[in-house]
Amino acid sequence: MPGPFAGYKWLALLNDWSVFAEGFIQTILLSALGLTLALGLGIFFGLLGTSHVRLFKLINRIYVEFIQNTPLVIQIFFLYHGLPHLGIMLPVFAVGVLGVGVYHGAYIAEVIRAGVESVPKGQLEAAYSQGFSYWGAMIHIVLPQAKRISYPPLTNQAVNLIKNTSVLAMVAGGELMYHADSWSSGNLYYGPSYVISGLLYLSLCFPLASYAKRMEHKLEVSS
Amino acid sequence: MKKLYVLLASLVMLIALAVAGCGSTTDSKPVAGGTSTAPEIKTIQDRGVLKVGVKVDVPKFGFKDPKTGQIDGFEIDLTRALAKKILGDENKFEAQGVTAKTRGPLLDNGEVDLVIATFTITEERKQSYNFSDPYFTDGVALMVKKDSGITDLKGLADKTIGVAQSATSKKAIQEAADKQGIKVKFLEFGTYPEIKTALDSGRINCFSVDGAILYGYLDDTTVILNDRFTPQEYGVASKKANAGLAKVVNDTINDMKKSGELDKLMQKWGLK
Repeated sequence: MPGPFAGYKWLALLNDWSVFAEGFIQTILLSALGLTLALGLGIFFGLLGTSHVRLFKLINRIYVEFIQNTPLVIQIFFLYHGLPHLGIMLPVFAVGVLGVGVYHGAYIAEVIRAGVESVPKGQLEAAYSQGFSYWGAMIHIVLPQAKRISYPPLTNQAVNLIKNTSVLAMVAGGELMYHADSWSSGNLYYGPSYVISGLLYLSLCFPLASYAKRMEHKLEVSS
Repeated sequence: MKKLYVLLASLVMLIALAVAGCGSTTDSKPVAGGTSTAPEIKTIQDRGVLKVGVKVDVPKFGFKDPKTGQIDGFEIDLTRALAKKILGDENKFEAQGVTAKTRGPLLDNGEVDLVIATFTITEERKQSYNFSDPYFTDGVALMVKKDSGITDLKGLADKTIGVAQSATSKKAIQEAADKQGIKVKFLEFGTYPEIKTALDSGRINCFSVDGAILYGYLDDTTVILNDRFTPQEYGVASKKANAGLAKVVNDTINDMKKSGELDKLMQKWGLK
C-alpha cells in the first residue's frame, strides 16, 4: 500500500541518486568555504574583543551582538533579495558562503575571546617580563593555551554551520536540502527524501561531533 | 566507544520502527463496497465535521480575507457542496490552510480528509493519492516585469524562471521550451510570495505558475503574457486507502458537472 515510505518511492530515489549527490557535494563545498571564512572572521574579531583598546572592543561587540541577535534566515534573505535592490547581485553560492560564514564567525569570535580570556593574566605578564612583545606573547604563549580550551566548542560551531547551510534551501541554494525539497515536492515522495537527507547530514556532523567529544575527554585528563 | 555503537544501533532501530509504523497504518484493508458506509466516511460523520486542506493565498480559489479572516473562493464553495453531501450540512467543514509542500503529508497523517487546493492531477501523484475527476482546468502562465520587454516564451531564452516547489509548472514550461528549441533555467521556491520577491529583486526574469494563481500577484510593474502551456487539471485528493470517500467525492463532482452547478460556481467567481 502506498504510504509515505512505500517501497517504490525508495526505488525512485535510488534511481535519482545523482540529484542527492549533487546537493551533498554542494553542501560540503559550502560548509568548507563557509567554515574557512567563519574561522578567519572569528579569530580576527575574537582577538579584537580581547584587546585593551576601547574602539576594538566596540567593533567586536557590534559585530557579535548584531549577528548573534538576528536570525540567519533574515541575513540570508537580505543578501539574496535585498542587495540586488542596491545593485549588488551576488551568486547564490557566494550568498551561502558569506551568510553562514559571517553568522558563525560571530559565534567563533566569542569562542576565541573566551578562550583567550581563560588563560590566566599571569601568563601574559610573565611573557612580558621575559621580553616578549604583545604579539609575540600572544602567538607563542597565550594562543596555544587558548586553542586547547577553544577546540571543542569550535567543532560544535562547525557542526552547526553544516546544518545551517540548509537554510539556503529557502533561496534556491542548490545544496542538499534544496534538492531534497525539489525532488520530493514534484512527485511527493517526501518520506525517503527527508530520511536520506537527514542521514547524509548525520554522516557529516556525527564524526565531527564525536571528534569534539574525544577532544573534551582528552582535555579533562590532561588538565 | 561501546556507548557510541549502542547509540547508533538504537538510532537505526528508531528509523526502522518509524518506517514500519507508517507502513502498517496505511495497510488498512480497501473499503468494502465503497458506499457511504465506508469506515472513513463513518469516522467523518461521527466527528460531525469534514476536515479540508485549502489554499489561503490564491484569490478566487481559496483566499483568506485579511480584514474578515474568512476563507472563501471557488474551492471553498466546492467544499461546502461536499460537506452537504457527506454530513447533510454545508457549514460542517473545517478549512485548514495548506501549501503545495504540506498538502501531501497532511493527507498521509490524517490531519485532513480532503485536499482541495489547486492540486494538479499527475500520473505520478495518482500512485500516492486518490484524485477525483478534474473540476477545473487551467494553463501555466508566465509573468514578467513590464520593463523587461519580454513578450513570449522565446524572449526567455537563456533566462531564469522561478517556479514553486511541488508545482507542475516546471515540467510544462520545460516541454514547451524544448519544442521551441530554447534553453531556460529554473529556480524553485517554497511559496508564491518568495517567487514574487525574487522577480522584484531581479533574481529571476519570470514567475511561472498556473494562470489563475498568477493573477493574484499582478501589480503595476508586472505583466502576464498571453501564452498558456499544458492544461493543468485540478482534482480533489484523498488518502489512497480511503477509496470509499474518494468515490463519494467523485460522484458528487460529476453530479455537479451534470446539473450545471459547477459551471454556476465558476461563473460566480469569474473563472469562466
